[in-house]
Amino acid sequence: MLSLQEVEEKLNFWNWPHHHWDTTLGGVHLSFNPKTMIMTWIVMIIVAFFAVSATRNMDLRRPRGAQNVLEMMFEGIRNLVNQNMDPQKGANLLSIVVTFFIFILFSNMIGLIPTLSSPTADYNTTFALSLTTFVLIYIFGIRYKGAGYFKHYFQPYVFFLPINLIEDLSKPITLAFRLYGNIYGGEVLIAVLLGLLTGWVDVCGGFIASVIWLAFSIFVGFIQAFIFTMLSIAYVSQAVAENH
Amino acid sequence: MLEFNATLLAQVVHFLILLIFLRFVAYKPLIKLLSDRQRLIENNINAAEQERQQAGQLKEELESDLRRAREQAQDIIQKAAKAAEDQAVEIIENAKNEAKRLKESALAEIQREKDKAVAEMRDQAASLAVLAAGKILERQIDDKIQHELVREFVKEAGELLC
Repeated sequence: MLSLQEVEEKLNFWNWPHHHWDTTLGGVHLSFNPKTMIMTWIVMIIVAFFAVSATRNMDLRRPRGAQNVLEMMFEGIRNLVNQNMDPQKGANLLSIVVTFFIFILFSNMIGLIPTLSSPTADYNTTFALSLTTFVLIYIFGIRYKGAGYFKHYFQPYVFFLPINLIEDLSKPITLAFRLYGNIYGGEVLIAVLLGLLTGWVDVCGGFIASVIWLAFSIFVGFIQAFIFTMLSIAYVSQAVAENH
Repeated sequence: MLEFNATLLAQVVHFLILLIFLRFVAYKPLIKLLSDRQRLIENNINAAEQERQQAGQLKEELESDLRRAREQAQDIIQKAAKAAEDQAVEIIENAKNEAKRLKESALAEIQREKDKAVAEMRDQAASLAVLAAGKILERQIDDKIQHELVREFVKEAGELLC
């Protein structure tokens, strides 16, 4: 039986650096998590390939292959947006939430490949995404309601202000930690299962646990991408709804 | 405890880059394709509806044509039947007239023959009477008296006969 650190050391096939990348820009000290950064770039390249292959030689009458997948995702999310808010307002939101879904989905899936890890298993990534949603809520709220958007903090009574503030602040935090927890937990359990069931135990059936967990992680990765997208749509639609 | 670092900012930038890239590479043509498809389907549905309407109209027209043709045929048949009836009546009338004419001419012939026979008979009766009178009376009379006697006799005989 190996400890988690030992398993992670063994899985470090690509020699991920253990220290941060440090740089100074305009007198501000910046440090980056190298593993997350590189995995994000890989995911971006894969997404770009997917997008290009899906939109190259598009067929109006008989979509097939990647075009079909992209159309399915796009139309599914468009239906969600249109159900939740005025389609005219939703048109601006649509491309953002579709990008959320595709990026998170590919990020979650890439972590299931041995020796790689999900960008979303780093809370920096999930907070970056959830803060984007947080900013979107305000952009959409102010754009469609003006300064009147801030009135909802005092409803139904003025002394509800702290509760409303907590409610608003809890949105990005819950979004980020839900995604981070699910994906990071999944990756930890993959490593733990590999560490627990070593040698002959693994060969004589221990791998089944890993396989089952990987299959479940595919499901979880999809569901989490969907939930993040769905909740972003719900939060923004709440902000632009007329009778708030 | 959580340690946020510049990765967060980088991820925001990454996300924005990806968003802009996808927006231009994928979403723009995809939205165009989807709206094109929607328009195509709408057009097809409209065309189908229009065609169905036209077909219904055509059917109605043909049905009314057929109905009119049937009515006309019925009319023609009725007219023909009436004409035939009229013709039959005419033929019968003609036949009747013909028969009447034939009968009349036959009757006239008969009358003529009868008259002729009567005249002959008169002559013969006169001759016979002359012969009989000559024989019975055995007397010589002149032709004038004789002739008068004959005439008297013939007249009587004629009255008797007729």
